[in-house]
Amino acid sequence: MFTRFFKPKLVQGMFALAIALTFTLSWSPHSVLAQDDLSNLPRLVYIYPGSPQADLEIVQQAMSEYMAERIGATIELRPLDWGVYNDQISLINASGEKYDIAFTAPWINNYYTNITQEYFIPLDELLTEYAPNYWASMTPETWDAARVGDHIYGAINQQIFVKPFGPYIRTEILEAIGLTEEFAALTSYEDLEPILVAVQEYVDQDETLTQVTYNLAQLLVAENWGYDPIVSDLVIDTSNPEPTVLIYSETEAYRNAADIIRRWYLAGYAPADPAVWAEMDAAWTAGLYPVRVADIVKPGGNAEVEARWGWPVTSTAIAEPVLTTAGVIATLNGVSYTSEHPELAVGFLELLNSDPVFYNMLSKGLEGVHWEWADEEAKLIRPANGAESFADTGYNPNTDWMFGNVFNAYYTDPTQVGAWPETAELNHQARPSPILGFTFDGSQVETELASVSAVLQEFGNPLGSGLVDVDEGIARFQTALLDAGIERIQAEAQRQIDEWRANNS
Amino acid sequence: MSSYKTQIRQLRKQDTDQLLSVITRFSVHFALIFFSLCCLVPLLLIVSASFTDETTLTRQGYSLIPSEFSARAYELIFRNPNAILRAYAVSIFTTVVGTIVSLTVMSLLAYALSRPEFALRKPLSFFVFFTMLFNGGIVPYYILMTQYLRVQDTIFALLLPYMVVVYYVLILRTYFAALPPELIDAARVDGAGEWRIFFSIALPLAKPALATIGLFMALNYWNDWTTALYFIRDSDLYPLQYLLYIIQSNAQAMQIQSAVGNIAAGEIPTQTARMAMAVLATGPAAVFFLFFQRYLVRGVTVGAFK
Repeated sequence: MFTRFFKPKLVQGMFALAIALTFTLSWSPHSVLAQDDLSNLPRLVYIYPGSPQADLEIVQQAMSEYMAERIGATIELRPLDWGVYNDQISLINASGEKYDIAFTAPWINNYYTNITQEYFIPLDELLTEYAPNYWASMTPETWDAARVGDHIYGAINQQIFVKPFGPYIRTEILEAIGLTEEFAALTSYEDLEPILVAVQEYVDQDETLTQVTYNLAQLLVAENWGYDPIVSDLVIDTSNPEPTVLIYSETEAYRNAADIIRRWYLAGYAPADPAVWAEMDAAWTAGLYPVRVADIVKPGGNAEVEARWGWPVTSTAIAEPVLTTAGVIATLNGVSYTSEHPELAVGFLELLNSDPVFYNMLSKGLEGVHWEWADEEAKLIRPANGAESFADTGYNPNTDWMFGNVFNAYYTDPTQVGAWPETAELNHQARPSPILGFTFDGSQVETELASVSAVLQEFGNPLGSGLVDVDEGIARFQTALLDAGIERIQAEAQRQIDEWRANNS
Repeated sequence: MSSYKTQIRQLRKQDTDQLLSVITRFSVHFALIFFSLCCLVPLLLIVSASFTDETTLTRQGYSLIPSEFSARAYELIFRNPNAILRAYAVSIFTTVVGTIVSLTVMSLLAYALSRPEFALRKPLSFFVFFTMLFNGGIVPYYILMTQYLRVQDTIFALLLPYMVVVYYVLILRTYFAALPPELIDAARVDGAGEWRIFFSIALPLAKPALATIGLFMALNYWNDWTTALYFIRDSDLYPLQYLLYIIQSNAQAMQIQSAVGNIAAGEIPTQTARMAMAVLATGPAAVFFLFFQRYLVRGVTVGAFK
């Protein structure tokens, strides 16, 4: 068998065949679209996380034609898969591979790392010169949130900036217990308790439901109580115009939240053995729990939740919305140091953020191909050509917030209509945090940050799930935090904030 | 009388021996059964989960026998099976072609390095083995592949990085060096040229080594997903392992997104669909390797007895 296998002629033959096959496979046809006049223009490359879209090239072609007339450039869209975006973009940056614009945020393709590594260029002057409408669409204070050191390195996507937390409940169950009005009138989490008692009675009779709720830990999120989190367990009280760095677990609000969590845990409203995020989401989808005690309540958000989890929900915002740095810069686009045409890149961002037609090409696809008007007056669209959902049309990145000003996005669900002005109003009305625009630089206290983050996991999480006695748990938590050196981080944060205020007043 | 006693003693000894051997055998079997169960049960759990109804899975957790049978996860996947089928094609292609070509390249190199009369033996050996100790790291590797060789988003990006694995060259060279020099001299006297000596004498004699290294290479190519992570952006060229990695890590990234809060995540593949993907991707491969491995192991032993 093997002698035959290794006959010289056969080996040579296979070798030749292998090479032939290799060429065939690598030359699989890629449609060449660019027309002559378009291909002479500079081509911008936009890299962002996204799943592959069948009609990406059609959209890219239409966008290029649209751009060519207005800013004299074309675009190449290069979505990278979500799960590998961080790895691939850091290789691209480190190797100096040429591109123009990339999606960035503190939570993916880290904005701050990109700045310290000098992968992004400062945008201040470019924005005022080449993106006047975009620049004018937000206040200078809002733009300051993206400022690091002396410069702005990220173009902010306008969307919901505030985090008005509040409870969600499945509508049918709320109606069944007859407390709709009471739920809508909620002003504090304490007032939620009688509703939970009623839900508990309902749950006892309905065997498809296992428990009242599951995400108690969300109550500990600082934004619930009007605090702006700086780093690890440090916060400032946004109602105090003099920003003093506090240890969150030493505040009254923290103790109060931990008390509520513990009380509800002991009452049996939440699982005795809390699961991880992914499982909890699956559990909600499976209809095991009717209440999410705290989540971000935003205009049009109920429709989004229903689309995602399959249950009609009702929600009420309890927390007072506060404008924080983290909220404003949750989604950004940066311009690469390798860009040969930074002014065109910013021109592209101007179009995305101020031209609804162009923006919706990227975020919704093409009219008549991927969507059609359901109600042009109200800017409401539906899937084109009778497709059942947008996912079936061949182009549905479903990430409006990544590409630009979401207030220019067309509505996809009738219940969403009017949500954008409402959200803009919410952003506008929100109380700005006294340290809006400040960003903490942790390079001086990295060791302490690492030990504190371990302490947060070990002692903070049990308090968040209600597993330990509050007094005892907080006392141990605080001792551990002090041992881990939280005071050094606190002093450093206070020093940086004072310095920042001195420079910005 | 004494012989009778001896007989009895012997019988007793036989009994205890037998008992001991039964105990040994039993405990060995028990250990092996336990070990195989440790390997098999997780696999069975995945298969079972992939056939379970999504809601039931969340409610009752994993079980060895699906409590509520459902093939919905597979229906979902086979609505658009292209991704998996393409990934299979890419993986099979790179494995087959990569193994054959890399074996050819490596054995040619190893054979040259094994011949004492080869003039450039020392410098070439140094050149090859130097890379085993020192390498430029990931960024220069990436720059070389994308900016000089320009193989990103082609099948070459998946084939090239494993063309020469120095460690295997080392093994092959040692094997070739052990061939008696008289054999080569005799062939030369009979009028064989270098190519003929290599293909007709050295290679057939090195079959056991080639078979072993071929298996390693095939596994290398089959299991490789990092190369695709670095160099493949075109989803038509995703190998199977990378496709699985993408599906899994996309789901995780989506959860981070939703944990960030004010961002609506896209659709997360359901648990059962992910399990079904895993079954479709690993199932046939596992069976394939079962046969492949046996075949090669036989090749190795056949070679050793010659």
